[in-house]
Amino acid sequence: MTELIISQVVNGLVLGFLYVLIAIGLSIIFGMLGVVNFAHGVYFALGAYFALSLRDNLGPWAIVLAPLGVGILGMAIETTLMRPLYGKEPLLGLFMTFGIALFIEELIRTIWGAAGRPFNPPAFLSGFIIWGPVLVTKYRLFVLVVTMLILAALWLFLHGTRYGRIIRAGSRDPEMVSMLGINLKRVFTAVFGLGTAIAGIAGVLAAPLWSVVPSMSEAAIMPAFVVVTIGGLGSFGGAVISGLLVGISVALSIQFWPAASTAVMYALMIVVLLIRPRGLLGESWERFE
Amino acid sequence: MKDSKYRSSPLGISRRTLLAGAAIGVSQIAAPFVVTARAAEAIKIGMLLPKSGPYAIQGETGHNGALIAVDDFGGHVLDRPIEIVWLDESSPQSTQQNMRKLIEEEKVAAIQGGVSSGDVLAIMPVAEQAKMLLMATGPNATEITGKNCNKYTFRVDLPNKVTVQSVYPQLKERGKKWYFIVASYAWGIDAYNQMKDVLVKDGGTVLGYDQAPLGTTDFSSYILKVRQAKPDVLYVGLGGTDLTNLLKQMHEIGLTRQMGLSSPIVNDSDLWAAGPDASFGTYPKLWNYTGPHLTKRSAEFVDAYKKKFGAPPEVEGWQDWFGATAILTAIKETKSTDSSKLAGFLEEHKFDGYKDAPIGFRNFDHQLVQPLLVATVRDKITDKYDYFNIDSEYPKDPAQLEAAYGSQAEIGCVFKS
Repeated sequence: MTELIISQVVNGLVLGFLYVLIAIGLSIIFGMLGVVNFAHGVYFALGAYFALSLRDNLGPWAIVLAPLGVGILGMAIETTLMRPLYGKEPLLGLFMTFGIALFIEELIRTIWGAAGRPFNPPAFLSGFIIWGPVLVTKYRLFVLVVTMLILAALWLFLHGTRYGRIIRAGSRDPEMVSMLGINLKRVFTAVFGLGTAIAGIAGVLAAPLWSVVPSMSEAAIMPAFVVVTIGGLGSFGGAVISGLLVGISVALSIQFWPAASTAVMYALMIVVLLIRPRGLLGESWERFE
Repeated sequence: MKDSKYRSSPLGISRRTLLAGAAIGVSQIAAPFVVTARAAEAIKIGMLLPKSGPYAIQGETGHNGALIAVDDFGGHVLDRPIEIVWLDESSPQSTQQNMRKLIEEEKVAAIQGGVSSGDVLAIMPVAEQAKMLLMATGPNATEITGKNCNKYTFRVDLPNKVTVQSVYPQLKERGKKWYFIVASYAWGIDAYNQMKDVLVKDGGTVLGYDQAPLGTTDFSSYILKVRQAKPDVLYVGLGGTDLTNLLKQMHEIGLTRQMGLSSPIVNDSDLWAAGPDASFGTYPKLWNYTGPHLTKRSAEFVDAYKKKFGAPPEVEGWQDWFGATAILTAIKETKSTDSSKLAGFLEEHKFDGYKDAPIGFRNFDHQLVQPLLVATVRDKITDKYDYFNIDSEYPKDPAQLEAAYGSQAEIGCVFKS
């Protein structure tokens, strides 16, 4: 039994990294732009579908180009549909992202059809590795490594570069940053593109594991919101800790009480919010108070 | 005086009288047109099938199947156009609300659909209360035509009690140590209870039993438990994207074809989405678009479906095609949209040409009694859609068909008068 529990905890950690990858784009967009992006799940789905279309002709390049395509689309949407709503009633932005989510899901259904599409992992990543009681498939290990690299690169970008500092400053006090002569509009567009591109990466990586169907955004959007809420809205570190916590909780609940495995993440969210309403690492932001 | 002069006609009839007379006259002249307009008013068939969630593809396929039935009728019945009004089936509560909307606002003549047994069990009392014909095309929980039956609900799909019997003899060849993963609602739980009874009575062992919430995306933790238990057969009460996810993740961990796999029923689209490398198992199937069992009429349906939608129909398409055909036939033959009359017709009528022998709904539980198939996913799949070898028909002896669905005493269905 102990061996199985250890195995489940590790499996939950690996699953947690996938949750982190799905949630981190949502967290960045909220943290920097203050946009609660209900359309996050459809960018995840678009990543999978773009890869599906590109892989036959471009092979492994599809993995890079699909998220890039999602990011470019994200930037176009931010410029045309989101930007006019900044500074207005927050509900308008919420409705807009909700509308975008419905529209893109229908668009996917129209272009690629309602039926699910097969999507296997590449042959060199098939099989698994066993260390004592722990079994991890090579593909999930690959997802874990990619997620860690993305997280590290993001952290370095946000904390170690001039652009990163502008983004962080802009998220706290946009007016002051604008007064310093920095074009915040472009910064916001880039951040939105980055967040959606990361959602696209998550979609590409999840495609060989989960069903590739037009409604696959549903599989991403709720865990993403739960992870971001538990971690603290806009908190990078909080999203990471929370994603791993959710992954482990889900895995352990499947071991002991499988029927509650979906409910457990919501229960965790309720407990965290009761104890710490801002989430684990959430801070008080004057802009959103 | 001047005014009154102008208000009266030269014949001394007041304007008010003239207008009233004109109105009556116009209404008489226009009467045939009014009748014509009423005659052209569509006969609406309500449809409750999922538009999103794990069973979304079944929803679309079912809707497509019903559209073929409308085409078969030339788009008209009783000289009135047929209109399918499709609302979402997403949860018991919202499906109930949509059912009421179909009855009260859309004024439908009958309702068909229902993939999830939980949703169908929730709308059955609404059908009974509103005296509205409900053609349940896709649910499998035994109690729908068992202890929860009612006189306005008819079921096209197979009850779990029958499907478990059909597939068990073939599965037990793999061994009698079984693991169960089922969706945590009426259908999955009923499937577990039915199959467990058959297995245990035959001396088999349940190594494990897990319920998975509907819409589970990641089964890796379940699969770890299965892997450790080393069952001969994994029996899953999962459908839609849940089954697709399980198959993909079993493939990821190298368990494809390493044990027997089955479920109470299977939709081809769930396997198509998993792909040929990940698909395996032996399943009960209500119908398959290829195979020697295909009748001329069903083959025509396959051709029409392919022509209209560009891909072959999976079983849900056939179910809703048959369901819509049954409703429209009843309307045509009774020349009525009254649900009581339609139900009376369906209790007596035999539908010829859909399966080897004429099939019909039993009058004491409203279950469609029909032979089914036991089919195994091919070892080598070369076609994009044709995944199955048909192993056998159930029951093997057609004379046993009625008995296979249970007697009135065994079923436990009693209609309220």
